[in-house]
Amino acid sequence: METFDLIVVGAGIVGLSTAWRARKAGARVLVLDKGATAYEASSRATGLLSLCGASPLEAPLAQEAEKLWDRLDEDLGYPTEWSQKGRLWVAITPAELDELKVTFQTFQRTYDDFELVDAQTCRSIVPPLTPDTLGGLYTRRSGNANPQRTSQAFAWAFQDLGGEIREHTPVLEILAEGGKVKGVRTPQGEVHAASVVVCAGAHAAPLLAPLGLEFPVAPVRFDAFVTTPLPPLFEAALVVHGLAVRQTLRGNIHLNGGPHEWVEAGVANDMPKPVTPLVRNIAKRLIEVFPSLRSAQMLRSWSGILDVTPDQATVVHPFDTPSGLIACSSAGHGFGMAPSLSVALSDLALHGKTDMPVAALTLDRFGKLPKDWRRAWNWQAGNYNT
Amino acid sequence: MSDQIPLRVTVIGASDAGCAIALKAQAAGHRVTLVDEHPQTMGQMSFDAPWFYGAALPAALMNANAVAQVVLEANPGIFACSEAGVDVRVGTIAWGAFQNGPNSRHIGVPKVGLVSAEGNELLDHDVLILAPGVRDFVPSFRGADLPGVFGVKAGVAFLDLYQCYEGKRTLVLGTSSRAVDFVRRAIARGVEIVGMVEPGTAFAAGDAARDEMAALGVPVHYASALLAAEGKVAVTAARICDLSGGAEMAVDCDSLCLAIGVLPNIEIPAAMGCRMRFDAGVGSWLPKTDAAGRTSLENVFWLSSFANGGADPKVVLEAMAEGGAMGDVQPAPQAASDQGAYLRSWIDALYASGGGAVTLCKCESVTRDDFLGLAPPTYLHGGLRHPQSPVTGPEGTGPRVHQDLLKRMTRVGMGHCQGKRCRDEAALLLSLRFGIGLEAIRPGSYRFPVRPVDLSLIATAEPAGLRWSYWLHDPEPVLE
Repeated sequence: METFDLIVVGAGIVGLSTAWRARKAGARVLVLDKGATAYEASSRATGLLSLCGASPLEAPLAQEAEKLWDRLDEDLGYPTEWSQKGRLWVAITPAELDELKVTFQTFQRTYDDFELVDAQTCRSIVPPLTPDTLGGLYTRRSGNANPQRTSQAFAWAFQDLGGEIREHTPVLEILAEGGKVKGVRTPQGEVHAASVVVCAGAHAAPLLAPLGLEFPVAPVRFDAFVTTPLPPLFEAALVVHGLAVRQTLRGNIHLNGGPHEWVEAGVANDMPKPVTPLVRNIAKRLIEVFPSLRSAQMLRSWSGILDVTPDQATVVHPFDTPSGLIACSSAGHGFGMAPSLSVALSDLALHGKTDMPVAALTLDRFGKLPKDWRRAWNWQAGNYNT
Repeated sequence: MSDQIPLRVTVIGASDAGCAIALKAQAAGHRVTLVDEHPQTMGQMSFDAPWFYGAALPAALMNANAVAQVVLEANPGIFACSEAGVDVRVGTIAWGAFQNGPNSRHIGVPKVGLVSAEGNELLDHDVLILAPGVRDFVPSFRGADLPGVFGVKAGVAFLDLYQCYEGKRTLVLGTSSRAVDFVRRAIARGVEIVGMVEPGTAFAAGDAARDEMAALGVPVHYASALLAAEGKVAVTAARICDLSGGAEMAVDCDSLCLAIGVLPNIEIPAAMGCRMRFDAGVGSWLPKTDAAGRTSLENVFWLSSFANGGADPKVVLEAMAEGGAMGDVQPAPQAASDQGAYLRSWIDALYASGGGAVTLCKCESVTRDDFLGLAPPTYLHGGLRHPQSPVTGPEGTGPRVHQDLLKRMTRVGMGHCQGKRCRDEAALLLSLRFGIGLEAIRPGSYRFPVRPVDLSLIATAEPAGLRWSYWLHDPEPVLE
């Protein structure tokens, strides 16, 4: 029987970074994934670090992540394309401007380095913005990186330390005995470990359900695309007109957006991630924001499934029973949080405690969540969030 | 489905198979739309898909109206369809195809995304027939980006479709039947064929073709490979080498036709999620189909001379009326082809003689060695801490190499040609270098749009019911 100190379920950015941290701390770690490395939400990420100014629960963890991002390339030994060039929220309609003012007030409760800026300032930070720009909210902090390169950097750094990733090896069942986690069952048999960390995105819910554990997470499908490479236009990441946008170092404009569609997750299979005609609508919004991109091309579109929690904030939950089992959902923004989230998960798995600010992120905050919350909120598969 | 006559039938590709089934379906009373991307705009031609036009687009192509006329007259199939009342859309790209599935339940009636210079639309259908023809297989070598280098399909198009062939002295790579066909057409138009290059010791298209080429005075360089296309601003010579002794010689020419092989256009069925299989004979992944061309997706057909002999239109028509997807038990007979081995012999020869420093990915300027070593792209100005291998899977349990990993890390296949020029050679290089069968190399994901499309043409306002205001969420109920 194979035995490890820690089994990480899910080879996305959160699982891989957790595995790397734990391996660095000397643990024997195995990562299992039903598919290939970084093929679900991690391949769809826009690559932004959010400071989570609107979420007092998460902002402390985001700030820890920000510190760690700055030295991540060096720590990992592989380039992530991280650049800390600020973040800009832009309003191009009066209603959006009003909302930004409210957002600003919310952010001010957590941060003092965000500022409301006028249209001219917006356009000096991001010159191709439409003349219809009315104003924005800006911080020099925050940044963006290449999500696929970053996930792989964690994978390689983990493997350089002797860590093992088994792709196409689904976890069919989490095993527990006498109130303690015992390991997992895969199609190739059982693998045992003292700790199991579930970083399986939306798949966490069906994995945990057979143990009688409810994990409130709703998967969504989201469309994304890149344009053909363009000359350098701007460095800050943007949230504008219902889109999240960055320009990659290569020059492609990379964006996400659109109404998202609630879907269902299974345990063992790669989830189909169909692109939909929504990309036409996203394209329309993009050229409303950047009129000069009219003559650029949509080069490639893809879609991903990501996991959203009821309050859209990260969950880190060490279960009392079975002990040794920890589950995580990064609620659609795991990319930016992974550097600090992984410290917390690794600490909790190996030592049962952590200095990272995750105590408020357990499932305990959902005590009043109705059992049929997805139905009650229209978050069921087949609905859009419109 | 048989009671639903007329069916709305969309045929993509005015290939022989596409035109034949369009005519047959129209005659049977169905409502047929035939879509073809030709004639392409020069902007689309510059993406080298599906045919590798290369860096020299003849000025004659700038007269779009004249070109359109010539192209339509050159395809009697389109003409016949048009006469028969088929709704013919030329110069129109089918950039994507959509239907309801487990994680996409809002498509409604299955539809195809069409885009042309006039704009875009979603066209509903009951039956989708994919007959999108072939694209050029173009290997890498030094000087491959020089004006005057083109693929055999592009060469034939320059000669006969657009009638604007500019080469006077052309060297042909390969001795396949495609190469022979090109030579015949070129000589008929007064082009001098200065030679054919063949890595093997026998003429690939057989002895009769060999004798025909000899009678036409075309020299064949056996056991040879191309080292480089040479020239400052355009091809002025080709350097070839003897594979046994390494002796080099320069061949005086102004154009280079890459006639090693052609591959079926599979991007639409692959991106739609049709089940695929690797066909060693063809040297390509193909959608699984039965003899009537049914794929694994309901009411989606794929017709190709590489898979089901283009399927008898009568059989396809019956299958359309029956409806459904292919069963589990009736795969199409495999087309006899040894192209896969031929492509492999060429890449083997070019890799052995040209080495690893040759640019593999033209869009992103990545060499063969940098690709195989997973080197970060040059704009990052850095190497890897440790050498990394693209082989991530053990033998026997699934894909051993994911080309998506190599795409993401090296950018080979991420450029504006969407991998059409390099992806197949990239897989062959991986196979040769790491000793892994092509069937264990999972190809890079195909994505919509299957051609780069102008944002201004594809942009569409969202319908009222699909407006969204925030990334990622609208405000949701607060927990209290």
